[in-house]
Amino acid sequence: MTASSDVEQSVPASEEAGADLPTEVSYWRYALRQIGYRLGQLIILLIGVTTLLFFLLRLTGDPALILVGDLASEEAIAQVRSFYGLDRPIIVQYFLFLGQAVQLNFGTSLQSFRPALELVLEHLPATLVLAAAAVSINISAAFTFGVWLGYRPERPERRVGLIAVLISQGIPGFVVGLILIQFFAVKWGVLPSIGIDGPKSLILPAITLASFLLPRVLRLTASNVDQAMRRDYVRTARASGARSGTVLRRHAMPNAMIGTVALIGVQFGFLLSGSLITESLFAWPGIGLLLIEAVRGLDYPVVQASVAVIAVLVFVVNMITDLLFPLIDPRLRSQRA
Amino acid sequence: MTDVKPDVERIGVTRRSIGMLYRNMSGLLIAGTIGAVITVVLAIWGVQISGFDPAQQSLADRLLPPGTDGHIFGTDQLGRDVFARVAVGFRWSVPVGILSAALACSIGVVTGLLAAWNTGWIRSALTRLMDIAISFPYLVLAVAIVSVVGHGFWALVFTLGLVSWVSFARVVYAETLKLKEREYLIAARLIGNSTFRIISRYLARGLRHTIAVMYAFIFADLLVAEAGLSFLGLGAPLGEPSWGNMLATSREYLFIAPWMMYVPAAAVILVVLTANLLGDGLIERWGRGTIQN
Repeated sequence: MTASSDVEQSVPASEEAGADLPTEVSYWRYALRQIGYRLGQLIILLIGVTTLLFFLLRLTGDPALILVGDLASEEAIAQVRSFYGLDRPIIVQYFLFLGQAVQLNFGTSLQSFRPALELVLEHLPATLVLAAAAVSINISAAFTFGVWLGYRPERPERRVGLIAVLISQGIPGFVVGLILIQFFAVKWGVLPSIGIDGPKSLILPAITLASFLLPRVLRLTASNVDQAMRRDYVRTARASGARSGTVLRRHAMPNAMIGTVALIGVQFGFLLSGSLITESLFAWPGIGLLLIEAVRGLDYPVVQASVAVIAVLVFVVNMITDLLFPLIDPRLRSQRA
Repeated sequence: MTDVKPDVERIGVTRRSIGMLYRNMSGLLIAGTIGAVITVVLAIWGVQISGFDPAQQSLADRLLPPGTDGHIFGTDQLGRDVFARVAVGFRWSVPVGILSAALACSIGVVTGLLAAWNTGWIRSALTRLMDIAISFPYLVLAVAIVSVVGHGFWALVFTLGLVSWVSFARVVYAETLKLKEREYLIAARLIGNSTFRIISRYLARGLRHTIAVMYAFIFADLLVAEAGLSFLGLGAPLGEPSWGNMLATSREYLFIAPWMMYVPAAAVILVVLTANLLGDGLIERWGRGTIQN
């Protein structure tokens, strides 16, 4: 590390001169700085969100009443209050809560009496599988249909396709899900629409979740491919006699698809919003469904833990996107490093 | 010769201005305007057009398919006219969208302006705040907040407005930074206008297109968010004719009464599509500026 930073210092012009060919060192420095920056963001976000929820929950209702029910006697309520520390001043309670949250202890679920975080982590794999499937659908649709739409967009059939994409942007994801259920599960009865029962039951939820992002991804891909095809380097490649398929695949697409993958990375949080609706529509046992049920049952430790885990999940994906892009696209290295 | 011209202008002014309006509008804006007119008509006269009382139950007329007994779009599980209920839904869902987007717009514009106009720690704190807030899925936050503040019209408006201001703030911030360097604003500052006057007269002029376009898109997003929350049982109270509520109920009747799903779904799609078309049409007309995707 010391040797490499000496090199950096001894060549002060490396920023400009080496912008096209950054050394391994500058990437790692960029990566470390980026991780540090994002980690700081994550910590502020976690503190902000949990604090907001903590005070909202305490100010609007007595958690002890939720715990024991409205019909319990005064003594029982007082007992529960002192057991959970709810008789102390709210500021003291807040710092106790923060202290426990730092140790990854969000309390016990009020419904299943298990540690809230454990419960949330149990539901994590289902959400990850669903999100991964939705992202793969988006990427493969972008590489096929999106590229097709953007390559020669003046042809009539592609115009119709683009209009269809534009219209589909107005269809909310949960309506897509309901229509899919109506046809594939109810009318034709070919695919299951509830819970996890073999790989077949992933199909409808994955398509539904994918549809939250798909129109935007297709639009961006089409317009990027179209723009790339008008660039000078494509004209040069054409002029030098490359076949049109080669021009598209080797010259236009690599530049156009960076934007697509970036969009999916940036919009991952939005995809998680969609998973709330998708999971409860298909009774898919992920974090989204858990959060909705916890909200309905006023199970606030689980609400806190789910929101925290979702924040970490978004952080990890943003992190990966940040670190991956300078590797894919050399231009970003000189911009950000 | 020169006196004749104004008269000619005046004679044809009404007809020509309508023609000009039409010629200047792109296909997107025309389609969006038609959608907006349909939305307004259905919101105001929809119930009369349907010819039924949206609250009137009739067990004898349960789950009638579209077209029977004058029910254009059929009836629901309690015998209520689906068209009438969806028409009342316009008066719930569209105002929630309009007001929450307006709240998001106000918070976002103020934050964006503060961040762009100030330098130093206020800017760095606010841009950091925006960076953090944009990464968090706002529906997750809305679900958590709604669980606490309760259902109801105003609770929804405030929750949705409070969780979605960031997109406005970021665009206003970026646009203001750009405008600050423009000659007319520099000139406005040099001749000694007060900051308030610069912002309200000169900057507002430069920002209004961007804000209008963003407003259309955010309105569409929040309309869908409201329908989604209500669909999850966390938005509109159970009795309210929100489209999300109707869609949630329709789930149990998909097999025997799919129209209970298709009609409210069509209403959501109509309004969202209208807002998106208007937004895209305005972008086409005014240019994209700092608005992404």
